[in-house]
Amino acid sequence: MGFKKLLTKMMEFSASHRYWNPEWSDEKNIEVFGKSAGPYGHGHNYNLEVTVEGEVDAETGMIINLYELKSVMAEVLTDFDHKHLNEDNPHFKNLVPTTENIARVLWDLLEDKLQNNPKCSLYRVRLYETQDLYVDYWRN
Amino acid sequence: MKIKEYVSLTKTYRFSAGHRLFLKNLSDEENFEIFDTCSNPNGHGHDYSIQVKLSGDIDPETGMIFSLEDLDNIMGPVIDELDHKRLDIEVPYFADEQPTGENIAKYIWGKLKPDLADKLIHIKLSETSRSYFEYYEEGNYPYEL
Repeated sequence: MGFKKLLTKMMEFSASHRYWNPEWSDEKNIEVFGKSAGPYGHGHNYNLEVTVEGEVDAETGMIINLYELKSVMAEVLTDFDHKHLNEDNPHFKNLVPTTENIARVLWDLLEDKLQNNPKCSLYRVRLYETQDLYVDYWRN
Repeated sequence: MKIKEYVSLTKTYRFSAGHRLFLKNLSDEENFEIFDTCSNPNGHGHDYSIQVKLSGDIDPETGMIFSLEDLDNIMGPVIDELDHKRLDIEVPYFADEQPTGENIAKYIWGKLKPDLADKLIHIKLSETSRSYFEYYEEGNYPYEL
């Protein structure tokens, strides 16, 4: 049996969003999404945990250089931090920015950038919307 | 090829409750031998937190795997039965079961399973910031929880 080697880095971002499905009536949106359907949006301090899997490099002792991971995460979060996700982030033009969907979009963006590094792969995205609510997202 | 994805959602709820760990047929001294300070005759309490983990597909219309409002409505009565109660005296289930973290986690799992069915995959009960208990069915999820 081998050993699993994982590395996790966290980064915070703040964003506003509105839960709204444009294909539904106003009444249905309010019934399903409640307070989250408010017309001007509301915000959260999100906390993103990115976990990567890989071999520990014999020379550097690292799975991935944390500076590299930090810059990948920071670049991805440029379109999220201090933005209104529905208005400012093209991924949510037609996608409700729930924690689940944000985690899925972040997975795609992070995986794309991490492909430049053949030594590690994205293992898990954990996205906290508040301290009391988080979503885990994996793909294989 | 359809991409296989795994999504889970974890929400934390809190309650405060008192309990005493003891066996009725033993003396206070004997109980102290087994349960130490947890057998204090007048009980003691904790601020518990319970993390409920659900898994499922993201609904394409709502973007959710489960309605948080529905989850709150399911959890509400379960928490109300425990919050600000003396568990071994006021909650019938714990008349014959020790109100330990292990048993409280199992109790909450049993309360939630009928409503949440296959979506419920894991429960974590924290008794203090330094001890927690997990309860889940093995082998139902392909990744670490």
